[in-house]
Amino acid sequence: MGKIEWAMWANEQALASGLILLTGGIVGVAGQFRGWQFAAYAIAAGVFVCLLEYPRSKRAKGTSVERTGQYCFTVCVKSFGPLTRNYYVRAFLHAAICVPGGFMLATVLGCVCLGIASIIYLAAAIRGEHWEPIVPRKDTVRPPPADIKNPPQNPPPRPPPETRRKRVEDLEGAAYDNPIPVKD
Amino acid sequence: MVASLRSWVANEGGKHFVLGWISILGCVCVCVCVDPVAGGEHLALYEDLPAVLHWTAVSLPVQDAGGMCISRASASVLNLNCSLVLLPMCRSLLTFVRGTHAVSSRETRRLLDKSKTFHVACGVSICIFSVVHVSAHLVNVVNFSVSYSDDFPALNLARYKGEDPKLIILTTIPGVTGLFLVLILFLMFTSSSYCVRLFNYEIFWYTHNLFIVFYIILMVHMVGGALKYQTNIEAHPPGCLTANQSSTSQRREDEERRCGEEAHFQPHYPQTWLWVSGPLCLYCAERFYRYIRSSDPVTIVTVIRHPCDVVELRMLKKNFKARPGQYVVLNCPGVSSFENHPFTLTTCPTEKKETFGIHLRVVGDWTERFTQMLLPQPRMDLEILPMVQQRRYPKDGWTGFRLQRLYFVWVCRELQSFYWFSELLCALHHKLWQENRPDYFNLKLYVSQKDNLQSMSEEKYRPLTSRLLVGRPRWKLLFDEIGKTNKHKRVGVFCCGPKGISKTLHKLCNSARSSGTTFEFNKESFG
Repeated sequence: MGKIEWAMWANEQALASGLILLTGGIVGVAGQFRGWQFAAYAIAAGVFVCLLEYPRSKRAKGTSVERTGQYCFTVCVKSFGPLTRNYYVRAFLHAAICVPGGFMLATVLGCVCLGIASIIYLAAAIRGEHWEPIVPRKDTVRPPPADIKNPPQNPPPRPPPETRRKRVEDLEGAAYDNPIPVKD
Repeated sequence: MVASLRSWVANEGGKHFVLGWISILGCVCVCVCVDPVAGGEHLALYEDLPAVLHWTAVSLPVQDAGGMCISRASASVLNLNCSLVLLPMCRSLLTFVRGTHAVSSRETRRLLDKSKTFHVACGVSICIFSVVHVSAHLVNVVNFSVSYSDDFPALNLARYKGEDPKLIILTTIPGVTGLFLVLILFLMFTSSSYCVRLFNYEIFWYTHNLFIVFYIILMVHMVGGALKYQTNIEAHPPGCLTANQSSTSQRREDEERRCGEEAHFQPHYPQTWLWVSGPLCLYCAERFYRYIRSSDPVTIVTVIRHPCDVVELRMLKKNFKARPGQYVVLNCPGVSSFENHPFTLTTCPTEKKETFGIHLRVVGDWTERFTQMLLPQPRMDLEILPMVQQRRYPKDGWTGFRLQRLYFVWVCRELQSFYWFSELLCALHHKLWQENRPDYFNLKLYVSQKDNLQSMSEEKYRPLTSRLLVGRPRWKLLFDEIGKTNKHKRVGVFCCGPKGISKTLHKLCNSARSSGTTFEFNKESFG
């Protein structure tokens, strides 16, 4: 159990919670239930959480798999520097965001799920994890060695015509067999 | 790449057929539950709803009835999926079924191999329909609160008119159990993503084992439920008039439609246990069987260290039978009591030699600690508890099998890796040459790392070095070549490797071929 990265799980949970908050908010606003203002807030909060959590962090050791099209989100999230790098900030941010969702029935579930994600982020932060952006690796294109550029100018060396001519009396000693007869 | 119909049917047809059939079953369930005239017993529920006590349901506000219909329909689909989701995980049972002569068709065996895909499909359906079910119930709970009926107090879920819906959820059994079910489902779903399974398998495994709590709560979810049916439908038909009511029509019609007695309601018994208990008992029996089988200890006979961090382990266990292509799951209590790791068998026990072997690569912390325990002093008193689960049919032996030719393509990063099986490959090659079947086994070795090329200088490994190519294989050309030399035949492709190669091969297998060869794609994955 030593090398578990809790932040990866918390990230999945937070993304799912963002979607649940968004869905609950849409249901609340569309149904015009009592307290629909909380539902409108939940829509905005859900979108914000999804945008923040979409770019996956780079793993401390080993290969990282990024989500489709996450590079532009990585750039945005990276620009906030230590605010987004630190998981303590994320944990308290999610805890604060989820509270207003608890006041309306449609968004209660999103609130609870985001709360759980916030707890896991806190655990990840205590263990010293932090968010690292996944930067696409630029493969260094090595230039080919200089002598490869020019093809050979001369044909390969061949033995003189006397040796090349097919000697019927001594096939074993012939240099090689010519498919086309040799002309001087 | 144009997908050919025949190849697509060979590779994808089976699983799509099964999924389609299950969807049809689900639709049938939905229709049965949403049947608007399912006896008159449920019309009473519509009567509870506000505004009108007309005797047909048609004039009632549709959106109130709709919530109950949708939640009931999604509940029945959930029942079906929760019962089916456990079946693909009964691996010993599937192994047994797959190995019997009753399953003689290769298509059925390949379909059984896709059991994990089916499990995932059922899991995803559970999540989707839970969302539908929860949304519909949220609407219902608001309605119960708003539409509290004084005429039929037994039908109300709310205790008084305008009761806070959140309170209804938190103080009724369906509400509280529903909340816990959704939370467990949320934890299980978020830990089942590909990344978490690949990099943090323990999180996935321990969270997924919460399924037993999920099922226990599921079975009591409907206790004291909202859905009631009327028991005295003859004496009090829907829409009949009570003593102090009269309708606008003639008085003699009023006489006929008087209610004999008050309506009596009975809640539905929870039906989930009918669906779920069978597969749950089967799965528990399966886990118990696996535990019993694994209680016999195993002795490690030989430990061989190979280059590139690979260790070969030869073991001995009483009454152990296995066929090539199967894998074992190792548990070493000295390293970790609860971790079980699968390894494909590289040597199977035969009549002459009873030992079986695996090759394991030191990649993570479990393998590292395991090999540290084994080397340099291998302890013979270690208890290893293997289990065998059959994955696919054997590909060794050429008598009695329909295998006509084998193409073995092996891609490694470093040349030293080929030493893991160099003896076996050379021995096989020589044996086939002696038997005058040189084209039976076609070997192609690829070294993908182009820098720092080494060489295999030993003369005895000549069959390997002469078949060695530098760089990654060009799969399309390989497939074209194999297609041309095996026209109008069925070629089975068995892939064991990373996802990238697996996806490429899968696409190539599905694409059209002028040679008329069908490529059937199979892959081995433990994640």
